[in-house]
Amino acid sequence: MTVFKGFLTITKRNMNIVILYLVIFLTIALMVDKMLAPSQAGTFEQETLTIGVIDKDGGSLAKGLSEYLDTWHNIQNLPDDPGIIQDRLFYRDVYYIIRIPENFEQKCLKENTKLEITKVPDSNSGIYVDQQINTFFNSIRTLTAGGFSLDEAIEKTNKYTASDTKVSLADKNSNGGNMPGHAFMFQYMPYILISILCYTLSTIMIAFNQTDVRKRMLCSSVTSRSMNLQFVLGYAVIGTVIWLICTLMPIGVYGKEFLQDPHLPYYLLNSLAITLVSLAIAFFIGTFVHREELVSAVVNVVSLGLSFTCGVFVSLDVMGKGIKTAAHFLPVFWYEENNNLLGYNAFLTSSQFADLMRNYGIQLLFAAALICTAFAFRYHQTRSDA
Amino acid sequence: MIQIQNLVKRYGDLVALDHLNLTIKEGEVFGLLGPNGSGKTTAINCLLSLLRYDKGSITIFGKEMHPDSYDIKKQIGVVMQNVAVFEQMNVQENIDYFCGLYVKDKEKRKELVEEAIRFAGLEDFRKMRPKKLSGGLLRRLNIACGIVHKPRLIIMDEPTVAVDPQSRNKILEGILELNRQGSTIIYTSHYMEEVEQICSRIAIIDHGRVLATGTKEELKRMIKTGETITIEAIVLDDTTLSEIRQLPHVFDISYEEQTLKVRLSSAKHNLIRVLHYLQEQDISFGRVFSELPTLNDVFLEITGKELRD
Repeated sequence: MTVFKGFLTITKRNMNIVILYLVIFLTIALMVDKMLAPSQAGTFEQETLTIGVIDKDGGSLAKGLSEYLDTWHNIQNLPDDPGIIQDRLFYRDVYYIIRIPENFEQKCLKENTKLEITKVPDSNSGIYVDQQINTFFNSIRTLTAGGFSLDEAIEKTNKYTASDTKVSLADKNSNGGNMPGHAFMFQYMPYILISILCYTLSTIMIAFNQTDVRKRMLCSSVTSRSMNLQFVLGYAVIGTVIWLICTLMPIGVYGKEFLQDPHLPYYLLNSLAITLVSLAIAFFIGTFVHREELVSAVVNVVSLGLSFTCGVFVSLDVMGKGIKTAAHFLPVFWYEENNNLLGYNAFLTSSQFADLMRNYGIQLLFAAALICTAFAFRYHQTRSDA
Repeated sequence: MIQIQNLVKRYGDLVALDHLNLTIKEGEVFGLLGPNGSGKTTAINCLLSLLRYDKGSITIFGKEMHPDSYDIKKQIGVVMQNVAVFEQMNVQENIDYFCGLYVKDKEKRKELVEEAIRFAGLEDFRKMRPKKLSGGLLRRLNIACGIVHKPRLIIMDEPTVAVDPQSRNKILEGILELNRQGSTIIYTSHYMEEVEQICSRIAIIDHGRVLATGTKEELKRMIKTGETITIEAIVLDDTTLSEIRQLPHVFDISYEEQTLKVRLSSAKHNLIRVLHYLQEQDISFGRVFSELPTLNDVFLEITGKELRD
């Protein structure tokens, strides 16, 4: 197992880079998660405003309107003084002022005269109160037209308003329609897997591919078969360790929430598939790049290029059509497709499940293609050397 | 121990090895001497089955050598022309790694690694990474990695290239010590002084062919030159040069920048005869040297060119 041990020794020398990438990954994933994930997904709170009322009428409809609005808002009676009104609005003591005119019932219900309203310009809350007032008058008109007296109509409207309405949210993924936090971590995982594995393994490959080191090893009594198996073992161990670290991070950060996700095995399978792709890319780079100083540049181009074009950092929805089409020819795209499927759907339909499996398969095919190309090149190179 | 018969290796139209024949006996320090591009490294690579050859056969320890002859490879140590170590490992880790390719037992390996470190004089540098070592120390590390498993046959391909004289002497002494400990050594070089110093038998190789084989004495006996006399600070005219050329046993002279070189076949009193002639002619001169033939003379006579051309 000397070759394997040598493999691990060289890996240990690159540990600082591995740790650096993991810290970057964890920091970015957590920051983006905190920024993008809604902080109160699934909970709603009604907005309460301070509304000023100048009641010139004093009739039952005017009182009914005040009571109606009082259900949600704080009502303040104001004197009819333009100076006071402007001051209160300017200092945001009140957000909305209703002037109820004399003979209010006649004017509003029968002549359809509009209420005189003063509000903070361009405020959403103003529109919100407008709608509530419209609802009140529509209800009163409907009830009086239906034969109820004005007092009965006011009483019923205020009674119905006071009752709570139960709202059910159509939530496809049990997360208010948003991706759960751990899905964000899985979204960024390809970048970190490709970066760490390509950097570490390419450096090792370059060390072992030095012409004279390779010759010295070929002259030894270790069989080529054993040597190759030890290389495969080295790749497998390093790949597994990095995969475990990357998947343990969502567990560490999101704990129970992640472990209770019904898609947990699929997330793990998906990350395993992209780990295999990353290992294949690492083998590919290690075969073609022979100078250590080039590794960093090549790995950065590959990892960032794949990440940006396949929706790791920026959703493909905001990308151009051309980039989306091109992304189909890259393995990370299929990983992200699966991640979105799992993140946005609590339950998978049979066609979604079939898509999930197809995307796993495509990732594995990409890995196989990269390995075969690298092997073909190595075979050709060995024959040229001989 | 090693038999190479009619070995032919071609790179397209270029014939790198042209029916090369060699026989190397156990216990020898066998030198492969030839200029750059003469086929030394190609021959070594074929010997180690690192290169496929077009024709011929190679037998080591009585068995035919193939890429999968691991029982033979186990008994061979290789010191490459370029330093072949891992930059990411320190001196001790490198030696241990290459020892591990041959020796599985951890305790035995530990002993062998210590021995190799001592042998190469790397005790004070065991925890240093290769890039921190000087050129000479790097070469010693390269050798330590190649011989750590105490092989029966050690192949050294120009191990002293770009090494300072002090380190070179240490390396050459080490090679002789390995030979005394029982290893057979194949040593390739284009430095004739080194080959002359350590090799018990030498093959002169050029254009992929063995031109001559034998001990250094045997090789020197093969050539006409018995003695080369060099006389400095001497002024001669064409007539005198012509007369010197006529002296007994003189077969070649050269005169450049007031330095006369006279090559004579082996005979008694050659130097006295030349000096006597100069005295008779009342010709003054500076320093005088008389040298016995070197391998360079052998090479020059056989190939018509200097070894370092």
